[in-house]
Amino acid sequence: MFHSLSRRQFVNVSAGTAAGIGFFQSVPTLFARTAMAAGSPERILVVVQLSGGNDGLNTVVPFADENYYRNRFTLAIEKEAARRIDDQAGFHPSLDGFAQLLESGRLSVVQGVGYPNPNRSHFESMDLWHTAHQAESRIPNGWLGRFLSGKKGDPSEVPAIHFGAEKQPLALAAESVTYPSIRSLEQFRLNVGQDAELKKLIRENLHQERKPADELLSFIQSSADSAIRTGERVEQVLKKKAARAVYPGTPLANKLKTVSRMIQADMPTRVYYVTLDGFDTHANQADAHAGLLSQLGDAVRAFIEDLVSQGNDQRVLLFAFSEFGRRVRQNASQGTDHGTAGPVFLAGGQLRPGLFGKQPRLDQLDQGDLKFLIDYRQVYATILEKWFDVSSSEILGGRFQTLGLFSSSG
Amino acid sequence: MDAEKAWQQWEPTNKRPWSIRLAAHLYRRAGFGGSYEELLGSRKVGMLSTVDQLFEAEAAPFQSQMDNLKKQVRSGGSVEQLPNYWLYRMVKSDKQLLEKSTLFWHGHFATSATKVDHAGLMLEQNDLLRDHALGKFLPLVQGISRDPAMLTYLDSRVSRKTRPNENYARELMELFCLGPGNYSEQDIKELARAFTGWEIRHDRFRFNRHQHDSGQKNILGAVGAFNGDQAVEIVLQQPAASLFIARKLLHFFVTDLPLEREIVEPLATTLRRSDFDLSLAIRKILTSRLFYESIGQKVRSPVELAIGFLRSLEATGNFVKLARLLRESGQLPFFPPNVKGWPGGRSWINSATLLGRINLISELLTDEKTRLKSGDLASWLGKYEIPGSDAVEFFESLLLARPLPAEARDRIGALIGGNGGSRNDRLKKSLVAIASLPEFQLG
Repeated sequence: MFHSLSRRQFVNVSAGTAAGIGFFQSVPTLFARTAMAAGSPERILVVVQLSGGNDGLNTVVPFADENYYRNRFTLAIEKEAARRIDDQAGFHPSLDGFAQLLESGRLSVVQGVGYPNPNRSHFESMDLWHTAHQAESRIPNGWLGRFLSGKKGDPSEVPAIHFGAEKQPLALAAESVTYPSIRSLEQFRLNVGQDAELKKLIRENLHQERKPADELLSFIQSSADSAIRTGERVEQVLKKKAARAVYPGTPLANKLKTVSRMIQADMPTRVYYVTLDGFDTHANQADAHAGLLSQLGDAVRAFIEDLVSQGNDQRVLLFAFSEFGRRVRQNASQGTDHGTAGPVFLAGGQLRPGLFGKQPRLDQLDQGDLKFLIDYRQVYATILEKWFDVSSSEILGGRFQTLGLFSSSG
Repeated sequence: MDAEKAWQQWEPTNKRPWSIRLAAHLYRRAGFGGSYEELLGSRKVGMLSTVDQLFEAEAAPFQSQMDNLKKQVRSGGSVEQLPNYWLYRMVKSDKQLLEKSTLFWHGHFATSATKVDHAGLMLEQNDLLRDHALGKFLPLVQGISRDPAMLTYLDSRVSRKTRPNENYARELMELFCLGPGNYSEQDIKELARAFTGWEIRHDRFRFNRHQHDSGQKNILGAVGAFNGDQAVEIVLQQPAASLFIARKLLHFFVTDLPLEREIVEPLATTLRRSDFDLSLAIRKILTSRLFYESIGQKVRSPVELAIGFLRSLEATGNFVKLARLLRESGQLPFFPPNVKGWPGGRSWINSATLLGRINLISELLTDEKTRLKSGDLASWLGKYEIPGSDAVEFFESLLLARPLPAEARDRIGALIGGNGGSRNDRLKKSLVAIASLPEFQLG
């Protein structure tokens, strides 16, 4: 079936033949592995971090609960305005994007996610989410960093990329590797001017056999080779017409659009990490929060639709989380203060769509805050075990029950 | 190489005299790279005199020029200006070993301006590191233990008697002095008590005796009513301390390859017997046979690569742009990724950073603010009377620690001798070609 030969495979096949771009013919066997690895349909995780503490109660609105309206006396979303999920809950009206994804069966919401002894400091709670390490002592690496360190593969490839100008998230920190934080695809371009002769010379010199070649030099040589290949893949994607899907002009949409292009370019990257900041809505929350949610929903919807049209939605999972929710009772400044548990979101083509778990009760609070029902490490364990097919207990420092978030094929 | 031979002083022989290549190695490792003039000078005076020069103090006029720059950065208030200042200083300073060692300690006592968010405090810490970089380790650790930027970075601004903050105590042993496995959780708790009452008030360190736990502590087997300074002494008396620091110095100055304990031990002994005299230890490294057997055994850090390139060309550049390029290549001074600093070695290299490194050199060469002392590349070669036919060999001896494959040398030679564009353009291209070589990434 012609269709089964994806564009991804097609690109690699043509690049590997002698009819491909000239210099590929002279590639020594040392580099063959890189070219092979790129063709494997590896699964991908895209993390969207909602920084500042997203107000979960105004994101997935428990409109059937009168306690919600009692505590959110001016900030509550009216039942009629919410985008109905079931007879208990609905999305904030600005989350139209999520509502549409849910309709098309590509979104799951896990409710009441948190952890014991909640920490209400942004920094410390985010560290917990990043490291998945609840003990008092801090550790300098993150759950995704540990996951990727355990993967075999060419160490010079880029298994994780963080898009953004902010500090690299601790989640990606690993013992002995540093993953790139980049702001644009330009950083994957060999930028030595339009001189074809010079580029040819650079490649010839790169592929020149070294005698004797010690391990360190070979490492650099093969890294340089994969860097230039990566650059070429990116170059090809940049030349192509932009994705068919229409992305909004927001910062998050721009980042996800870039991620989509990388996925299309067959980067060997398994984890992409992007951030949307601004959820620390202590005062005059309503408009700010609505703006953030529409940015989130519309960007994620455009991204997933783009992946569907590429044929990549089956191998990509998007996961959005925040370091904590907000207090149940709104404050005196038309805002909300730091709280505890909240929903996380997953989007992609292999999910069991809908609400998962229960909304924590609003009439049984712990010092004014929601009691969590699902440990965030259960979500991680599910991603590691069911999506990436790796054992999670070593990475997470314990066994956590996985959740049935994926459809049977997942 | 066995440990005894490794630590013998390097001596020139007829087969291996003190050469431009060896001097270039010394300047690359002890500093950020030398100009050809410096290398010629070194060849004349020999290894020991060159090392002596590296340890000379900074000249007063340079210091006051730097003080002025710092004042500007401080009054500007933005932490984004910090790297520009230090990168400029690295390029301009005659006392390369001092700047290089300061960078070493910055990575060791890693503190990021992203979190501290205070240009003045970051500059003060930088000065502290520079003041002690080639001094004794004990006052350096005692100084950093009360450094406001460090205390802010590790959230130890306040540590009360009733609730000691363990962060700093932990990092002091794990990352700064001993390494993991050489202390217990109980030692951390006891050590933290010694630092209680160490606070920051109005951007200054302040000892608050009301919050200090003056009771008896048991730290690593020593018992007494220790204060913070005494506690640091106790930590440094551990046998693990000298080994830990010796190993870290060796990985910074000598090699990315694994090091046997027998090789590290003699340097640790030097440290122990000299009250951790860092000058003595670094001198021992730079004059050893081990050091001159390790040419090209390190992946150069982005800062080493960029500053070294400018210094080799006797050039000054666009430091704002350089800071951006370095950030993209993974090493922006004042902004280490986390409390462990830059892991170094192979972690410098991935697809994005490698292209970033090549693009960095290419951008430096084309940026109009990059100015060579000699004017342009052609007159720079002219200064040393290098004919076009020898240009590749000249670049190789100056810029590369590893030998070039003959075919690559021929290709770049043909590029310089060709007839496309001006001679200066061809020289520029040849330098981009050299910077793209795997050999260029090693130092």
